[in-house]
Parts: sequence; structure tokens; C-alpha cells
Amino acid sequence: MVIDLKKCIGCTGCALVCKAENATPPGILWLRVVKHETGKYPQVRRVSVPLQCMHCAEPPCMEVCPTGATFQHPNGIVDIDAELCVGCRYCMMACPYDQRFFLSAERTYFPGHTTPFEQAGYQRHQAGVVSKCNFCTPRLQRGLEPACVANCMSRARTFGDLDDSNSEVSKLIRDRAGYQLHPELGTNPSIYYLPP
Amino acid sequence: MQTENAQEDLWIPTTCGLCYSVCALKVHRVNGTVIKIEGNPESATNRGRLCPRGVSGIMLLYDPNRVNVPLKRTNPNKGLDVDPGWKEITWEEAIDTVAERLRKIRREDPRKLLMTGTVTTQDEVPFSRFFTMAFGTPNGWNSGAGNHCGTAEHLYGALLHASWAKQPDSDHCRYLLNFGSGVGSGSYYTVTGMAQRIAEARLRGMKHVAVDPFLSPSAEKADEWIPIRPGTDAAFALAMLNVLLHELNVYDAEYLKHHTNGPYLIGADGSYLRDETEKVPLIWDPVDAAAKPFHSPEIKDFALDGVYAVDGQRARPAFAVLKEHLAPFTAEWAEPITTIPAATIRRVAKEFAEEARIGSTVVIDGKALPYRPVAVMYFKGAQGHKNALLNCMALELLTEIVGASNVPGGLLGMNSCSVGEPETGQPAWIPKADRDGLMITGYWPSFPPPYPPKEVRATETIDLRGLIPTCPGSSGALPVVMADPKRFAVPYQIEMNLHLGSNYLMTFADPEAVARAFQNVFQVSFALFLDESTYLSDIVLPAASYLERLSHTADWMSSNAAVGEWCYHVRQPVVDPIAQRRSVCEVLLELVERLEMREEFYAFINLLLKLKEPHMLDPTRCYSWSEIVDRRYKSVFGEARGLEWFKKHGVLKWPKQAEEVYWKPSSSARVPIYFEWFKTLGEKVKAQADEIGIELDTSAFQPLPEWRPCRAHEENSPGYDFYAIYYKLPMQTFSGTYDNPWLDEVCQTNPFAYGVAINASAARQRGIEEGDWIEITSVATGHTVRGQAALTEGIHPEVIAIAGCGGHWSKYLPIANQDGKGLCFEWLIPVGLDNVDIPSLTQDTCVKVKVVKATDRGSKRSSRSSRLNDLNHLNDLNPG
Repeated sequence: MVIDLKKCIGCTGCALVCKAENATPPGILWLRVVKHETGKYPQVRRVSVPLQCMHCAEPPCMEVCPTGATFQHPNGIVDIDAELCVGCRYCMMACPYDQRFFLSAERTYFPGHTTPFEQAGYQRHQAGVVSKCNFCTPRLQRGLEPACVANCMSRARTFGDLDDSNSEVSKLIRDRAGYQLHPELGTNPSIYYLPP
Repeated sequence: MQTENAQEDLWIPTTCGLCYSVCALKVHRVNGTVIKIEGNPESATNRGRLCPRGVSGIMLLYDPNRVNVPLKRTNPNKGLDVDPGWKEITWEEAIDTVAERLRKIRREDPRKLLMTGTVTTQDEVPFSRFFTMAFGTPNGWNSGAGNHCGTAEHLYGALLHASWAKQPDSDHCRYLLNFGSGVGSGSYYTVTGMAQRIAEARLRGMKHVAVDPFLSPSAEKADEWIPIRPGTDAAFALAMLNVLLHELNVYDAEYLKHHTNGPYLIGADGSYLRDETEKVPLIWDPVDAAAKPFHSPEIKDFALDGVYAVDGQRARPAFAVLKEHLAPFTAEWAEPITTIPAATIRRVAKEFAEEARIGSTVVIDGKALPYRPVAVMYFKGAQGHKNALLNCMALELLTEIVGASNVPGGLLGMNSCSVGEPETGQPAWIPKADRDGLMITGYWPSFPPPYPPKEVRATETIDLRGLIPTCPGSSGALPVVMADPKRFAVPYQIEMNLHLGSNYLMTFADPEAVARAFQNVFQVSFALFLDESTYLSDIVLPAASYLERLSHTADWMSSNAAVGEWCYHVRQPVVDPIAQRRSVCEVLLELVERLEMREEFYAFINLLLKLKEPHMLDPTRCYSWSEIVDRRYKSVFGEARGLEWFKKHGVLKWPKQAEEVYWKPSSSARVPIYFEWFKTLGEKVKAQADEIGIELDTSAFQPLPEWRPCRAHEENSPGYDFYAIYYKLPMQTFSGTYDNPWLDEVCQTNPFAYGVAINASAARQRGIEEGDWIEITSVATGHTVRGQAALTEGIHPEVIAIAGCGGHWSKYLPIANQDGKGLCFEWLIPVGLDNVDIPSLTQDTCVKVKVVKATDRGSKRSSRSSRLNDLNHLNDLNPG
């Protein structure tokens, strides 16, 4: 995935469309937008940076998983099999991007009340396991883009095959000097950012 | 979401109702439950995308804190914090009570009825206006008179752009000079569409210069941020005009001659010179050295400069008068006012002048059109000040002087012109000229448009809009007059308020003062939530949200982008109204019957919904809401495109023609650069004000722009050394979305959403560190609000910035009313005419405050704010 920081306006629509698509429970945002400020008044720059699972080609979370719950799809997407997860949270310690989330107990957004949406959606989330962004794998299987890509209101996100040098994402990375966050960690993330 | 074993799996087209952008939706319903709201890719309005609010509508639909049953007040005492003692009643009892009250008022004096509404419901509020018109009252108040309404900006929209609002030509603009508007960054009109278009323009290389006290969401995306002292934008604009006309000698002479009143001759008294026979304005033809009527076919050229003797009178072209008027406003003059170095003002003026490319053309749809790829944008930030009329005039003149108005690349009115489309039934509306050659809008969302000037009728309305007809939007005078109508010779008092969704206590100014104006009024609220303003209600009716109701129209003039396609939508219920909620329009139809006012009401419907035979309403029979909606669609879009067609297809669109988007070059209507009639109108206003004994400073009714200080600029009380400003974020709409837990969650990830932005150095000088609780005390109201400091380099050192309308205190909003959910800026702003721009009735939102570190975290009623700036806080929220 490529995220164009020049286009991104930091609106957090991606964070919430992710929540709507995946019905993540309270306190869990698989996707967040952080603000990064540099410079001194009046020469200041503030950039919005969306963060989510980087789907590293060399995922440290997978290495430390004792049960094999964390696995990589053949397309490179890092995913979690909730049935195998025992909630040990080693993966959370291992993830250098802090993009894994542990659901300690089932909660709802309105205390004491479960909305029909939550009734329908929370079946997919078990307490006691770790979850995270899976690039909307169920949507990909239906031929759709990840929800954050499909909804982005400044069209800052592009999804595609990094291994195909002719893909839109590969071209964008080449043409616009796309970069990974913290490449020095050696995990080879699959999310590239285009400079603001 | 997975939908296996679903008996029902539907995608229903409809429209969002969470702000005035009106994005098109596809709502996914599975077994009766809404499980996803997506943007409808068929729509030109939002092109398949949604903002965070749009996505989160599910939580509004299913919020257990929604009003679900009719309620009546049992506590006779009213006040900001007085619990009404709600008691559940039946719909029958509620309607009986409301109808009885309305009947009594209508018998006595229908003007005693007020309707307060919000601009986020572009369906129910306009429809309810038809009800109040038929009822016989001119009184209405939309939320936003304080922080949101463009007021004077909309006036210039009418006078210069034939439109309620305007936007840069995102397809061609190369230089966007933005005085604090949120265009492209998740607020302002057509939020979702413009976010995409402006993002494309950024990649295309459009330079965006943001003039803004705060590095706001919009300024963050600019190529250059120029911090400015609040309320001084006009001084910056005047200095730019000075540089353009007195240093660079740059102006679009052809445009000024043919499309403005720049050549009209102005006499010594400041009025037009008019010809003897037709009484129309004269111009000077330098070729024949003669004065001629402005529309004479004999004109060989128009003089823009010089002094001429006409029938013994000394006369100068309006442009020359403007130019001379601008002479004192040098960049050096503006520097100490704005705090912007003169060199910066000169550089920006030069860049603007060069990028305007005066004289160049571009071919669009086979036609060569003037190409002026510069646009000046502003909205509430630059406008919401004591001198709104003259501030906005200065800002607008930048666009006019370089001819960048409604031409490719420039500033475009939104849907100013339709040439008509026989296939879809859309009628033509084309800006036209009046006898003076000046433009009258082709279409205006309320009636009548601000020009030609309306009659001055001092005591007609409760908001001074009768006396001052140049206020096109929400009047800042309403709470003042309502509290003391006798002082304004208004011969009645407001006795009842039909309250439709506006939380006016939190969106205008000092809530205590506003509450005083409303607390003796019998208030009937159609409410989604028991918000702060419903504390003053006598009856609360459970309203259906936009996802639960049918509307006669979802779209309005400013919900469609200026460029691209015409696009019309449906708003239909995606689920049946939950519990006892009902559509406001359906309830009003019932009231029409109960009050026996069907004949008058149907006449207004026929007229204002433009119903055509055979679809006009016949008052001898009673129509259901869906029948009326069907007739509306068929009248506009033809027999084949009734309600059923729209419910199924959701969207009707077709491309705009170049002459609709870029209508100015082919229009014979001129726009003013010299606002001659303001002067005459001001004299009339003054005379009537004197007559009824109101002291009113009408000196700002003048034809040329000026910068005058706000009260805050002259405030020198020791310790009050910050200006407090308000701005919008894309995560909340006004005050109405703060109980949404999803929006709450993302607001907690944004360092500024619930906190107070303060310059890092200025804060540390006062011993304030990141996250400290601070107390902000208004010199004007004496109220204090509390919040947590969000230190940033990206704010003017004299300024603190508060986002949105948080700081709720209603006990019925359990998410919004918690400590640390933003601040209510309105506590800082006083209510009173000396805080209002008289010609536009704009409320000044500029105020001086004292900022001190709080000694304890204790909370004050008006003081809820905190922020969680730790990026990992969401894990903290997640126990374990």
C-alpha cells in the first residue's frame, strides 16, 4: 500500500471506515492518524501520518508467535488466526510499529447497551486475543480494495502489488520517492509513504 | 462485513445528513441492521468517499441516548442547569398540546412564533420554513450565527458570484490565497468532493498560501503558512490591493470595464452620476470625451481613471475612486496591524499578480475564456468580526481587481448559473442585470436575494433583519432583540419556539445570555438528543434521523461542487424510524391539518417546491408526505423520475457546460467594485433606527473597504494578552456529533481536537507545559473555561485556538459531557449589538482572554476539556 502524505488531510476517515468495516470494539483502532510537527514558529510543518499494520515482509511478530496464530498469506499480508491465538501478547512487544491490539474483555460503546451493529459485528472479535489490520482480506477476496483505500476522501491511498514493477504502487514509489517508516529495523514494511 | 446466512442483504442509496455537504450514501443493511455506510461512487458530490462523520452515522442511528418517546417538562423552573424533569407522554398528548399553543398564537399574532433550525438539515429546516410562512411568522434563526454562518460572506456571494458560497476552480487554479477557510481539508462546503479535488490540485502544483493565526488542518496542507493576528485579514488584503494598484499597476482593465461598475462615474457626494432621461449610471468615453449611459451602444471605450466635468459636476470613475481610497493602506501600514512583515505582503501580492496572468486565455469546450488561475478564499475566520462587511469587501476585491471571478482558474460561485436541461427538467437560472446594470442572482436559496436592496422595515422581525436587510444569513442580533423587543419597537414578544435540531446555546455566544432570551418561551423541540438547548424545552418530540426519514430534497445550492456535474439525490429511510421517532415533515403535515391551514400551506408548497400541473397540491384533499415528495420529483425531473425512480437509482447527474461553470465572460451583468447602494441603504437604516430610538452605528454602510479594529484589538486590560479563536475539524459537525463514540475515539487521537492550541514558547513563559490544565477567562463575558494545553509551534504567539463545539454539560449526553471532551468557545463571546457588525449582523468572534495555569483540575460548568496526546493512549483505554 502507498499512502500519499501530500494528499492526506489527516481527517481520520480511514480510522473510522476501518472500524465500520471490521466492527472493532471500543479502544481498538487498527488504524490511527498521528500528527508530526517540526520546525520553530513561524517556520513550522505539521504532517498527518496514518499508521496501521505495516505488513512487514519480515514480520517480527510472526517470529515470536508461539502458536503460529500469526501467519503470512501467500500475497504477503500478515494475519492472525484468532482460533490459535492464546493472548500471550509477545507479538505486541515485538511489533516495532505498535500496531497490534489486545482485547481484554468484551465491551460495547454504550455501557450496558449493545447496538444492533455491535450485535452483528462483535461476533468476529473474541476477548483474550490479539487483533490488527489485515488489509481487509475478506474484502480483497471479494475483489474489493481495503476499506481505508476505497473511502479515503483525499484519495491518498493506493493498493496494489509491490512485486509487480508495473503496478500503480510501484510506479508511485519510484516517481515520488516513496519510503518506508523505519527501514533500519529491517522488517521491510509493505506500506510506503509519499513525501508531504 | 461478512453476510453469510443473511435473509436480507441490501444496499440502499440515500444521502448523509451530518453536515451541509449532503454526500451520497450507499447503506448496507443486513437482516434489518445497518452494518456499513459507504459513499455512493455514482454521485458527483462525494465520488464514493465519506468523511469520518459520514462513516460514523451508524452510531448516531443506534445511540441509546437518542430521544425515543415524546416528553414533557414537569419542572416549571427553567435554566441552563435546571433538570426539566422529563415525563414520557403519548404522541397524541404532545400533538394536542403543540396544536393548542399554535392555534392560540396564530389567533393573537403569528409573529410570536419563532423557528430555530440548523443548516445540517437542508431538508427539514427549509420545509419547516414553508410551515412558518404559511403560519404567518417571518421569524427564524438558523444555528451558526455565532461561529458558523458565513453571514457577510454570503452577502458578497450574492452580490459578486450569484451564489450562496464559492470555491476555487480546483481544475485550473494555480495560486490559492486562503484566509482561514477549511476548503479541501474537511470542513467548508462539499467537504468530501473538495478534499479530493484540492488534493489533486496540490499534486498538479497549485500553490496554497494560508493566512491563518493557527496552523489549522487547512494551513497544514498549504505550501506556505503566514500567521496573522486574528481579525486583521482585511488589513492584509487592503495592503495587497495597494501594492497591486499603486506599486505594480496590475489590474484587469478589460474585466473592470465590461464586467464591473469600475467605469461608472461617481459624483462628489459618492453617488453615481445618472443620465437625465433614463436615470441610469453614466460612464466616461475617453475616445469621444463624453459621458454616456453605461449601456449605450455608442461607447467606444470606458475610462477607468481621470477626473471629468459632467454637467458642471466633478466626476471620477469608480475604479479611480477605489484606487485613491487605497493609497494610504501600504504594506508598512498593515505590518503592525497584522504582524506580517511588509516584505511578505509585497511578495505575496507580487506572486498573486504574476500568477493571475492577466490577458491570458484558455480554451475550454472549444471556447477561448479568460484564464486567471488565482483564487482568494475566506469564511468564518476572516469574516466573523466586528467589521465583517468591510473586511469581506477588501478580500473580495482582490479577486475582482485581477478579473479572477467566475472564469477558469479563479474563484467560482457554486451553481450560480444553469442554462437549463430539457432532458432532466432542470430549469434555467442565469444571473441577470438590473436597470443599473448590476447583477441579480439567477437563483438564491432564500427569498428574496439581497440585491436589489430590500425595503427597510424596522419592526418586522425579531432579529433586526427587517431593519437591516443586508444580513443574508443568521442574525447576531436575535437574542438581543428577543430579550427586550420593546427597546427595538418590535410590537410583539416571541412566545413559542419550534426548535429543530439547533443547539443554539452552544453555537452562538454566552450561553447564559442566550438562555435568558429563550427561557420564557414555550419551546417544542424535534430532537435527536436531549442536548443543552432542550433544557429550555417544554415538549420534546423524538425526531427521525437522516437515516430514518424521507425528504423532499436532499440537495441544495451549495451541496454540489462548482465544477464537474449537476447531481441530484434522494434521502430515504434505510430503516423504519426506531421506537417512537417520527419525521419532522410528517408531524408538520399533521399540524397543518390540526390548525386548518391546509390551503395556505399547500399554496406555499406549490410555489416554493415549484410544483407543476398535474402535480400541484389540491387543497380540497390531503396528501401524505411521500405523495408530496413524489410530486416534487415529478415536477422537477419529469413523470418518469418520481420518488420510486430516485429510491431505486439514488442519483441523477449530467455534466455541467463550460458556460454554466465559467459564466461571467458571457454575462452582461456587472458586479460592484464600488458598493454605491450601501451608502444609501445605510442612510435609510439610520433614519428608521433614529425614528424608533435605537442608537445604531451605521457608519460601516460605505461603498469602499476599510479595516477597523474589533473591540478585542483595543482591549488593554492587564493580563488579557491572548486572542481566543475558534476553528473547525473534520471529526465533528458543530455541536451535534459530540456524543458519537466513534468520533470521540478519533478525537482522542488528535492532539488539538479536545485541547487548547497554544504557542509553545508563549505557554512556557507562563509556566504552562504540554497537557497542563489551563483556565481561559474572557475579558468580555467574565466566564472561564478550562482545558488542557496542547503546545505547538504552529500558532501565532498571541493566540489560543479552540476546535469545534465541545464542553457539553447536558447530563443526557454521557459521552460528550465528560471532562476532557473539548471546550465550549461560546462562553468567551458576549451577546450584544456592540459585538455585532451592524450592516451584516455578523457576530464578532474575536475576544481577548487571560490564560493561566490551573492550580487544580477542578471543573467549572463551562470547562470541560482534556486531551490525550499519548499516541498509545488507546491501548491505555483497553484495560489489560
